[in-house]
Amino acid sequence: MKILLMEDERETAGYVAQGLQEEGHLLSVAEDGRDGLFRATGEDWDLLIVDRMLPVLDGVAVVRTLRAGNIMTPVLFLTTLGGVGDRVVGLNAGGDDYLVKPFAFAELVARVTALGRRRTTMAAETVLRVADLEMDLLGRTVRRGKQPVELQPREFRLLEYLMRHAGEVVTRTMLLENVWDFHFDPRTNLVESHISRLRSKIAGQDAPELINTVRGAGYCIRAPV
Amino acid sequence: MLLFRHPLGLRHRFGPRRLLDLIKTGHASLGMPRLLRTTSFRMTLLYAGLFTVSVLLLLAVILWFSTAYIAEQIDRTVFNEIVEIVTETEGRGLQGLRDAVSPLAEKAPPGVYYLLQDNAGTVLAGNMPRVKPVLGVWTWAPPGTGKRIERAGRIVRGRGVPVAEGGYLFVGLDGFELGEMQETITRSFVVILAATIMLALAGGAVMSLGLQRRVEAISRTSRDIVAGDLGRRIAIRGTDDEFDHLAASLNAMLDRIESLMQGLREVSSDIAHDLRTPLSRLRQRLELARRRALSVETLHEALDASIADVDAILDTFGALLRIAQIEAHTKAAGFAELDMSEMLQAMVEAYQTVAEERGQMLAGDIEAGLWLVGDRELLPQLFSNLIENAIRHCPSGARIELAAHLRAGGIEVDVADDGPGIPADLTEKVLQRFFRLERSRTTPGTGLGLSLAAAIAGLHRTRLDLSDNRPGLRIRLLFPR
Repeated sequence: MKILLMEDERETAGYVAQGLQEEGHLLSVAEDGRDGLFRATGEDWDLLIVDRMLPVLDGVAVVRTLRAGNIMTPVLFLTTLGGVGDRVVGLNAGGDDYLVKPFAFAELVARVTALGRRRTTMAAETVLRVADLEMDLLGRTVRRGKQPVELQPREFRLLEYLMRHAGEVVTRTMLLENVWDFHFDPRTNLVESHISRLRSKIAGQDAPELINTVRGAGYCIRAPV
Repeated sequence: MLLFRHPLGLRHRFGPRRLLDLIKTGHASLGMPRLLRTTSFRMTLLYAGLFTVSVLLLLAVILWFSTAYIAEQIDRTVFNEIVEIVTETEGRGLQGLRDAVSPLAEKAPPGVYYLLQDNAGTVLAGNMPRVKPVLGVWTWAPPGTGKRIERAGRIVRGRGVPVAEGGYLFVGLDGFELGEMQETITRSFVVILAATIMLALAGGAVMSLGLQRRVEAISRTSRDIVAGDLGRRIAIRGTDDEFDHLAASLNAMLDRIESLMQGLREVSSDIAHDLRTPLSRLRQRLELARRRALSVETLHEALDASIADVDAILDTFGALLRIAQIEAHTKAAGFAELDMSEMLQAMVEAYQTVAEERGQMLAGDIEAGLWLVGDRELLPQLFSNLIENAIRHCPSGARIELAAHLRAGGIEVDVADDGPGIPADLTEKVLQRFFRLERSRTTPGTGLGLSLAAAIAGLHRTRLDLSDNRPGLRIRLLFPR
């Protein structure tokens, strides 16, 4: 992916740029809001990573201007620790996702992947499939092979989110935000217990495990190789 | 320019720094020039001026009315006298009139004038020189009295009437009485005016000094506070006047500032204390890894453990910052109406799995349709913290209940468990930052969960009410309507 990173802090910018380049993305860095806005409008990007606090023109203003100019490139906001309410402001300005600094690199990679994919799969799907697991979004039913799977509404949402991001790493925080709408870090193994329950529900006889734990990152649902 | 300076030095051109300088340097004495500069004294001067004007106006009105009254009296007396003379001498011609007027004129008391002239202007009788025969009421100034004649009182007021054979009769009275009265009135008014001004100034001075003293007390207290004595408060006299109200508001403001500063101080020392342990542990771990790690694998392990340590420290920082922001009321703006029942039900569903995994039971008793104006992101965190607190501190087999009902005072939410509970004397302490019960010291956690919950509750105008659930802990929140 071709990514424009707007970040004035050299160290963070270097860390993010280097890491994402190692993941195979193409990175450019803008050090202030005006430069970032100029380059975001001048070229075609797959993703913009925007720090909220930018010199000259702050990140929220940059994104608001872009959206007003009908430039719909996905935006991932970066913000400093403890910013209560910042998330809402950022999303209202037209941001697509939000990440609090300091973050685990795996978290950033997962979110970048999710946002990059968003563009290509905008078509409304009615059936999601991973190996022999099938989810009918209209009928709200799930089958593993021929076996129907009974799920609670929240479990359905959890599985749907995983399946929509099939093959990608989905982090714990992403699940908390998108499935439970929790914008904080619970002190208990909330996600883990729901995942393990979901696993046991979709586990068929002798069927291979579909939901994989990615150590230090999160979960990934994919067909066994 | 000096006259326009406010007692507190609050001239509008003053920036805050200038004001602070003034408070710091202060004004020591209440000398006369300062008195003249006070607002209340300037007010007094203004009132004294207004009083003078109104007293003068009153004087003018009284003078005008009394003059008119006395003139009317004179006119009536003169008219009656004329009528009497004319009726008495009816039909006896000019001669008859002369006989009647002559003795009257001779015996006339001072200030009473009679005159009878024939048509040639010859004086037939009377105690005044000939005049041009003017009919009706008119005034005449007796000659020879010099300058005094100018005084209104000395002028003779009278009436002239035509009489038989082309004669002319005039009867007049001098306004001695009128003059006397006007003089008396004026004199007393001068005295009254002087007294009024004196009283106004004296009263104003006393009042200014009183006000000045109270303002001075307030600014002295604020100087003490600027100097570092944060515990000082402005004395309230109990008179319930505007100064008491001002003092009460200022005191409330000072309380708020002090509690914020207190909080700040506590937070800094708490951070210092509570982060030293994990940071030194992290340092030891890194040092150990530096010395001992022989393979890449062990090095990675050490690094992973270090990252986990750093994450825990960052968690603590995050929670602290969140508490600070919530306590500073920065989020109340994000309030919206939300379905509390639905939110709590979702919380129960989310945590039921967690509780069951630990062999505990989480039940919900939530009334439907509880709507509340609150923060959509912070309220789940509040209840999540309370539920997790119960889950983490209760043993296997415990029962945890989340109940929400509409009560008279608002929405009442209870999180109750039958776990080990909290000793009664520590119920307040557990809400403080970093406070952890002795038995939970070894479990992971920031010691900030309940403080954060309490801060969010405070933002929603409620508080965590901890009580004994016999056995266990019950935390109750009453969200006011």
